[in-house]
Amino acid sequence: MTTNINGALDRLIRKYGLPPGEIIDAEHSPAIRTHGGEFALLPWRVERRFIELKNLIDNNTLEHVSTLRFASITAGGDLLRQVARELDLATWLAGSPVASLFAACSGRAAANLIVKLESGIRLSIECCNRLPAGRETIDRHKIIARRGVASDRVVDTQVPQSSIYAFTHKGDARHTDTDAELFGLSEPATALVRAAFAVLRDPALGAEWNTAAAASQRLIEAMIQSDATSAVVSLQGKKTT
Amino acid sequence: MKPVKIAMVSLTHGHTRKYYQTLNENRKLDWVASCAEDAAARDVYDLYKTGVPCYLSAEEMLDKHPDIEAVVLASANNRHLEQVRFFSARGIDILSMKIPTFDMEEYDEMIARCDEAGIICQVELELHYNPVVLRLKKLLEEGAVGKILSVQATNITLSPAWAFSWQGNPEASFGKRVPLRPGDPRFRGGALCDHPHVFDMIRWLTGSDFDYLFADVAPNLRPDLEVEDMLLVNGKMKDGTTFLFDPSWSRLEERLKVPGPGWEVFPKRMEVNITVSGEDGVLVSDCFGPNVYHNGAPNDRYTVQYTYFDEWIGLIDEFVDCVRNRTQPRINLKWHRQTIRAMNACYESISLLAPARLA
Repeated sequence: MTTNINGALDRLIRKYGLPPGEIIDAEHSPAIRTHGGEFALLPWRVERRFIELKNLIDNNTLEHVSTLRFASITAGGDLLRQVARELDLATWLAGSPVASLFAACSGRAAANLIVKLESGIRLSIECCNRLPAGRETIDRHKIIARRGVASDRVVDTQVPQSSIYAFTHKGDARHTDTDAELFGLSEPATALVRAAFAVLRDPALGAEWNTAAAASQRLIEAMIQSDATSAVVSLQGKKTT
Repeated sequence: MKPVKIAMVSLTHGHTRKYYQTLNENRKLDWVASCAEDAAARDVYDLYKTGVPCYLSAEEMLDKHPDIEAVVLASANNRHLEQVRFFSARGIDILSMKIPTFDMEEYDEMIARCDEAGIICQVELELHYNPVVLRLKKLLEEGAVGKILSVQATNITLSPAWAFSWQGNPEASFGKRVPLRPGDPRFRGGALCDHPHVFDMIRWLTGSDFDYLFADVAPNLRPDLEVEDMLLVNGKMKDGTTFLFDPSWSRLEERLKVPGPGWEVFPKRMEVNITVSGEDGVLVSDCFGPNVYHNGAPNDRYTVQYTYFDEWIGLIDEFVDCVRNRTQPRINLKWHRQTIRAMNACYESISLLAPARLA
């Protein structure tokens, strides 16, 4: 995967005249190595669906956000990274750090969190990694406000939709392609390359993402503590974003 | 590669807004000037605060910016011939909107003038650069469904006629005032003229051309328009592929003068869905989905917030490459000619209440 994505990144670097960079540890803790150092990659922040959800908040299409309801169900993978992603996504979308959280976990297979952001917004996160091997991730991100509800899932559906459905003698298949410049890469790989591209275009973003990644790690430690003690863990006074 | 110095003229086409972003952001372009069709178009242009000087005369624009290499003709369909004559005579490359003209004599004159001048003329059919369409094409080339038997496609939108009034004007849109059929108060120049994409796509996906088409118009959703807004088309390609298209303005809209949030009444204001059935299976595709969804401001209606409209990156990549290397784009006037003929055949079929065959 790393060769594939770095090849794609190189093409963008050449096309747009950017400084060199290399994606490392793509499978676990992806980062980009540049002449300026190593920077954590937060690829969800460059996914178009999340950019548009953030636009809906920032442009006041939604007014007075009350609650975020996030869910993510994967086929295997590290539950803690999965929760960290959702926590980072929430604090970035809402523009507010975490004040406190209460977590109930089933080992490293499932986690259910209720989180209070410093802005007062409440957040629920439902994560599980017990989908059968090979199944695509099922996730959902809903923003509930006094004026308007937004979601990356269309009404009356429970699972992600695709751009193309193929029903053929070889069986069923689904395809979603969102980026013609990176055509051929999977959705996760596309987001990873776009994240690296974003850091190369805006070096200040790299430092910002390193800070955010460290904050997410502190939130995961708080989640583990909350689950172990069955207690609300306060983050106030601790820097989380 | 040295950026292409580009200008945009007229500023009355529905895609003009998209070009404000494209010309500003694409580093392969150096947007040096604009020329508005009239003072009203310039007033709207000023709202976007592009910082690019805007003129009311193409001559003045070229006098002030003699280094302009290419232009985007963001104009009403009936302005295209005159503009092609003007810019081809000056050796300036052209990015044309999706309907160069419906008059085939004019069309052939455009081809001749571009050939004589040795200029590039690319037709803006952006679906060729859409990632879902690229996947669809790849699957078909790989034989995912075997021999293609049938294609159904929608190219349905709201009506842009309130914001871009020429699109509801038979002369400006179709080129002249031609009744749809005897006894019908409506004229050619409506939704069909706005939606060439599906006619173009089936040719590209099948590699075949139209044999015959049948088209019919339904009662207008907007009785105050003097052009058609609802129609259906079916027929056969020369390779036997049968098809059915819906190129209607079947999504109602708020009648905004300047498009913006809240324009749509139906949640999804623009849809291109293509279904391809073959001997070995079926592909169903949504070229602009999935997206994100909300019911927030300004109208508190359930609304699709589109997540990708990146077709203009590939489109401009190709245009710049052609300008710099003096090669003709894939989607050029000659390629597009058969699509325009097919659309004319639709109007002929509507008029005759019978299928129209393309020679």
